[in-house]
Amino acid sequence: MGFATYDVNKYPPKQMVAVPLIVLLLALVLLAVNWVSTGMPVTPGIDFAGGTAVTIITDESVAEIESYFSGFPLESVGEGLGGGKYLKFGPMSDDQYRVLSEKVNDRYPEAKIDQIGEAFGAALQQQALIALVFSFIGMALVVFIAFRSFVPSVAIVLSAFSDIVITAAIMNIVGIPLTLSTTAALLMLIGYSVDSDVLLTTRLLKRQGKVEEKLSGAYRTGIIMTTTTIAAVIAMLVVTAIGQVEVIFQIAAVLLIGLFVDLMNTWVLNAGILKDYAMKQGRRT
Amino acid sequence: MSNDTLRKLMSDWRVVLLVVLVAASIVAIGPHFEDGKFTTNLQYGLDLQEGSWLQMEFQAEVLTVQTDRSIDRLAANLSRTLDTEVIVAADDQIEIRKKLSQEELQPILLAEGATIVTYNPGVSKETAEDVKRILENKVNSLGTKDARVNILTGLNGVTRYVRVELAGVDMATANEVVGQQGKFEIRVQTAGSESQHVLFGDAVTSVSVPTVYPPGSDMWGVAFTLSEAGAVSFREAAISSNAVNDPDNHELIMLLDNNTVYSAPLSPDLAAKLKAEPIRELRASTGTGDAGMQDALNLEIHLRAGALPVDVTVAGSGSVSATLGDYFKIVAFAAAALALIVVGVVVYFRYREPSIVLPMIAINLAEIIILLGIARYIQQLDLASIAGIIAVMGTGIDQLVVITDEVLYEGRVPSPSVYLKRLARALGIIVVAASTTFIAMLPLALMDLSTLRGFAIITILGVLIGVLVTRPAYGKIIMAILSK
Repeated sequence: MGFATYDVNKYPPKQMVAVPLIVLLLALVLLAVNWVSTGMPVTPGIDFAGGTAVTIITDESVAEIESYFSGFPLESVGEGLGGGKYLKFGPMSDDQYRVLSEKVNDRYPEAKIDQIGEAFGAALQQQALIALVFSFIGMALVVFIAFRSFVPSVAIVLSAFSDIVITAAIMNIVGIPLTLSTTAALLMLIGYSVDSDVLLTTRLLKRQGKVEEKLSGAYRTGIIMTTTTIAAVIAMLVVTAIGQVEVIFQIAAVLLIGLFVDLMNTWVLNAGILKDYAMKQGRRT
Repeated sequence: MSNDTLRKLMSDWRVVLLVVLVAASIVAIGPHFEDGKFTTNLQYGLDLQEGSWLQMEFQAEVLTVQTDRSIDRLAANLSRTLDTEVIVAADDQIEIRKKLSQEELQPILLAEGATIVTYNPGVSKETAEDVKRILENKVNSLGTKDARVNILTGLNGVTRYVRVELAGVDMATANEVVGQQGKFEIRVQTAGSESQHVLFGDAVTSVSVPTVYPPGSDMWGVAFTLSEAGAVSFREAAISSNAVNDPDNHELIMLLDNNTVYSAPLSPDLAAKLKAEPIRELRASTGTGDAGMQDALNLEIHLRAGALPVDVTVAGSGSVSATLGDYFKIVAFAAAALALIVVGVVVYFRYREPSIVLPMIAINLAEIIILLGIARYIQQLDLASIAGIIAVMGTGIDQLVVITDEVLYEGRVPSPSVYLKRLARALGIIVVAASTTFIAMLPLALMDLSTLRGFAIITILGVLIGVLVTRPAYGKIIMAILSK
């Protein structure tokens, strides 16, 4: 595997830090461009933009489904392997929705239907944003209290921030919308991200020994941590992709992207900043 | 493992606690066969079992106002101008039961000598509680096994949404229950068990909240107003049935969907008045004390025939069929099971030592069992919370890896004192990491983002169980196993 052969001590700190920072910058630019052009940094899903999601199990083809629902704002039809189909409709009037839900029930009595009004979606979006901001502030506070020193704490907070920003940018590129589920995944990412960063920081600052050796040791542990999590998330992703369980699938997809981004941010960005800091500290004492 | 190490292990309180909790959780989850089918006591949310949910938005707003005049006067005047109910919610707050924008209201309030300090769409907590009670009452009459009505009041004391969740009910029925009104009728007893029709619910134009009358007494009741035509038919029926002269043998009976909900004679005072002219303002007394108040609360709902005091619009809704719910359940549990297996394989390739890998997987499994055991009492499992369980599994293994690597530093098992020092350091890392996850999830658990609440609560619970019980116990177990 690529990560196993990566030597965490190969490059000098300044070079290490440059790459993730450039990626972060690119991600920020992408989000900003999106923001200016669409009014939202990320593409909002049904939960936030309003609309209707219908899950059905049927052998019919996508074209047949599209023709059955012609006249309704059908935006996309996702397909699972077991005949599961996930239909997304844009916002519509109450009357049109009533007609739609009757039409769905006529042909697919076993369907799962979820509908979110536009105004309700906007209220949810606002709440989700508040949750994200509070989570992030809370996380930063815990980190500062735990380490009580500026540079290492900033390094952790920066890499968590970078995790979320880069993951959000990739979500835009691959077309995963921001929904309640993916918001939860982004928040979960804060937790995962800090996990490996805390390990790295504790090993490097609170243990005796040479910086390089401590760094390689932390890297060995950190990599196994993240690979087990990645393995669990891939299992979740595969099963739910086959079963067409959109909620868990989206959570898994975002976590997977985020975990890979976190590998870079922890073992390149955070490690770079921390190594530089630890070596300067070492010289001083 | 020798008997000696086993005995030593069982004397460690953390290990004992772990074993006890796992056992208690299995009992709580209660896996058993019922009618030949495997079931448990776990509660499922509406993703995973048949049911429907409706999220409704109140068509009303709460204003904080500034005025020199009395707030009661202001409310009364506004009620007339706006042709809708306006309620005083607090000393400086009024609730307007009609959807109007701040721009529409500003000039109207200005004309009444008041200015709007804050404008919040929604209703006051009291009204929201009223709505909740009415909906619960209607839902219970349906006899569904599992129904919930949730209101969430914001920090500003204003409730904007009410959410109804009905297990085992399809969308059409759910809409009917919430939207439809009952048939309310007043009849008067003619002779014995015979009675004659007086009026229907449409003649009741307004219903007050329960009050005591006379003021200061303990006599509860509900005042209501009849339309002019209603008052006329009421008087005619009272006279033709002879209720005005012999009230005790000609009781008034109120029926909701043909079930008697209230029955009492006319008061002598009212009987006398009715002889002279039609009366529009009536009052039904229900009795004294808590029982009287409870009856009054129910009667109020009946008089409204289950209509909500405030209009609502459906902001969001959803439903799952039984087939699809079961299907999701299978997929979700397959995902969790596969995740556990995959994690086991990865950890095995790292350590290649069954005496480390097996306890790790066992602890991970124990964590999930305890989590489910507690969740059974406090949280319905929906798709998002199952994703939460898988996420907890991921962090759980992560932290067991931290412990293992920390204590096996340089591949050797150190002496007990060094071991405990390293275990303490590993637990230090875990506590910091867990606190951040805890804090990151806290806003979601406290806010009403409905589906995400389950996810957050499960994650927080998982983190707590891990930090307080399973991970420290793992440290002790792995020490006992490796030091033999």
